Amino acid sequence: MSLEPQELIHLESKIGRKPTKTELQIVAAEWSEHCSYKSSRIHLKMLPMTGPRVIFEKGFDSGILDVGDDYVVTIHIESHNHPSAVEPYGGAATGVGGVIRDILSTGTRPIAVLDGLRFGNIEKDSHARWLFKNAVMGIADYGNCLGIPTIGGEVEFDDCYTNYALVDVVAIGFGKKDRLIKNRAKKGDIVILLGGSTGRDGIGGSQFASNSLESDDRSAVQIPDPFIEKLIIEAILEARNQKLIKAMKDLGGGGLSCAISEIADSLSVGIELDVNKVHSREPNMNTDEIMTSESQERMLIITDKTKLEKLQEICNKFQIKCSVIGKVTSKKIMKVKKGKKSFANLPVSVVAHAPLLDRPAIKPKYLELIQKEKKFKTPKNLSNILLKILSSPNMANKNWVYGQYDHEVGIRTVVKPGHDASVLRLDNGKFLAVKLDGNPKQCYLNPREGAIGCFEEACRNVVCSGANPIGMVDHLQFGNPENPEIFWTFLESLKGLTDFAKYFKIPCVGGKVSFYNETPKGPIKPSPLICVLGLMDKKHHQLQTISNDDLIVLIGTTKNELGGSEYFEYTHNFVGGHCPVVDFKTSKANMNAVLELIKKGWIKVAHDCSKGGLACAVSELCMQTRIGCNISLEKIPSDKLFEDRLLFSESHSRYLLVLERKNLKQIQSFLERKTVLFNVIGKFVGDHILFQKDSKTVIKLSVDKAQKSWMNSLEELVLHG
Amino acid sequence: MTLFSQNSVPLYKVHIIIENKPGISDPEGDTILHDLVLKASFPSVSKIRSAKMLKFDIKEKNKNTAKKKIQKLCDELRIYNPMVSKLTVQVFEL
Repeated sequence: MSLEPQELIHLESKIGRKPTKTELQIVAAEWSEHCSYKSSRIHLKMLPMTGPRVIFEKGFDSGILDVGDDYVVTIHIESHNHPSAVEPYGGAATGVGGVIRDILSTGTRPIAVLDGLRFGNIEKDSHARWLFKNAVMGIADYGNCLGIPTIGGEVEFDDCYTNYALVDVVAIGFGKKDRLIKNRAKKGDIVILLGGSTGRDGIGGSQFASNSLESDDRSAVQIPDPFIEKLIIEAILEARNQKLIKAMKDLGGGGLSCAISEIADSLSVGIELDVNKVHSREPNMNTDEIMTSESQERMLIITDKTKLEKLQEICNKFQIKCSVIGKVTSKKIMKVKKGKKSFANLPVSVVAHAPLLDRPAIKPKYLELIQKEKKFKTPKNLSNILLKILSSPNMANKNWVYGQYDHEVGIRTVVKPGHDASVLRLDNGKFLAVKLDGNPKQCYLNPREGAIGCFEEACRNVVCSGANPIGMVDHLQFGNPENPEIFWTFLESLKGLTDFAKYFKIPCVGGKVSFYNETPKGPIKPSPLICVLGLMDKKHHQLQTISNDDLIVLIGTTKNELGGSEYFEYTHNFVGGHCPVVDFKTSKANMNAVLELIKKGWIKVAHDCSKGGLACAVSELCMQTRIGCNISLEKIPSDKLFEDRLLFSESHSRYLLVLERKNLKQIQSFLERKTVLFNVIGKFVGDHILFQKDSKTVIKLSVDKAQKSWMNSLEELVLHG
Repeated sequence: MTLFSQNSVPLYKVHIIIENKPGISDPEGDTILHDLVLKASFPSVSKIRSAKMLKFDIKEKNKNTAKKKIQKLCDELRIYNPMVSKLTVQVFEL
């Protein structure tokens, strides 16, 4: 681990002397990109982070939203990309563990997990398959052992992730507002390390995540232990109930170095600790190793002396170790000792605040050329093409993935994975809808519009379940930020998200930035991931069964926006063109109209129209209900487009509504009043997915055949290559 | 001397042991140590490491090629992850 030369100069000028070896290690860990956000911090301020529901307390690691009746929901997102690319099982599992502890550290119980996964081309690349298979298994094993349901997520494959993996985890917590940990400390309070023992694993992990993979020795491997995590969760919640915790922080990247300096800085105190007191797994660990070890399943707790005994009792009961490792001091100094010998003596504000960077940004050259579109003839065999897209790894049903996750444990999950958004029941009778979305293919063509598109898509999904979006967390994943072109794509995405969040008044309550996602072939495509939370009052929108003769209404316009679509990339193997653009005003009008229709109970099902376009969205409904459809392409509100483009354009702000014929009139007049563009495009009938144009058949595909292929293709591919 | 006739290829038993590298934690071994062995009053035990063993029967020219073939197989088929695990290969003549 090391500092950049100019950072070393900065450090020396701040402390007025040369740092000791241990001090250098501590600062290098905390000043890594992973922990300090030194490239992104000055820009992240632009996101709107406040709102009527947002609760903010110093030192919180996760976002908190008030959901009424004295209850709060907490949410946090993290990635574990570098470790998962090296050891997918352990990397993905410990990724789940880390974000769950962030939820726990606010004093709320983790109630759900979602995962966003990205890998290389699993059709061609057996290494990508190996990564995929093991990452899913790691998530499943960890979440299932903890009894926390994995309620959804998304999976995508793209050549840009060859030899690499993006593993993003969102965790959601729930609790009473008055039980939130307030994060206070005063002189004389004691500092406790609780949970797993400290070993040599993961040393240098945060620095590892701040370097590109190929340049590293791949040494940071962490072993998951969900059983200790479960004990920690229960012990801490019991301690919380007995008010034994004054402040708390999870040990993540940077280990003790970061946890101590960050908590001391946010509470405006100093901490003095003795590494000899840390319960370690291996003999003869030196101070530097103990301070930077990223061993999993550890929590840092501050409490006062009178409560120590009770806390120890709880730890004994759950058979987890807890050691008093230090004390709180009034001088804002972080002091590290080994026995009597002092190893580090640094002002916490210096350690916790890396010199921030204002990196140069230049619009990448590729963006000018890539908008150009190749001319394709409209293919004749569109039925075949639809079948192929439906069974492609990106579009195929992901039951092989979520089938491994326990998504019902805790009996809160009322809408399970495989639908638009997942829905959780909360104790106050309300319902929480959650959706995670990303689209690197579109973000690559246009980082700003692509990121907005992900955000809108997540909102659309939440809206389709009948919930109002109340907050979001973002995870911005890019390549090396020292490259001005990559940094430009980061800034563009961030600006897009900011504009959308402000316009829709959806506060960003947390997030993460992950840079240096580089594969041997180059940087990954810009991969922002957005998770949107929606809230529903007492009654939740029950999905109703679709039956023969139900009508299909399409809201929104289908435009010539096929850049980054599955049709261009999977069928034609073409990367380029114009990616879909969200018109904020239309987006809002459509969103509000759909929400109102759901609340009125006039529609049976609302389904978002996105990846794979209208053709896939309609097919998904058919395959889920096993009823065919008859759609007239000339009725689709659209630009003048060829059939294939009408079918597969991925324009945003579009919704499919399924309704009973008797409700049509009132829905029509409602939508006309709201000046929302819509049309009845067809109905459910027969046993074929049928698309016609002026009564001529464009696509005719047996529902059974499509369904079989859609349901089984991913599993076939993973298990049998 | 071998039991086989001259034109038949000898059979070897190859055992591979896969365990977490030293220094990487082993929750399974720790759990057995703390929750079973020490609780049952065997205080002289100080460490337990868990491992997985696979036993192969393989026909090869000699001990060395048998060992090499199995090592190659484990590497190529990702029977273990060299980032995390240590592989020990033992060959026995039948």
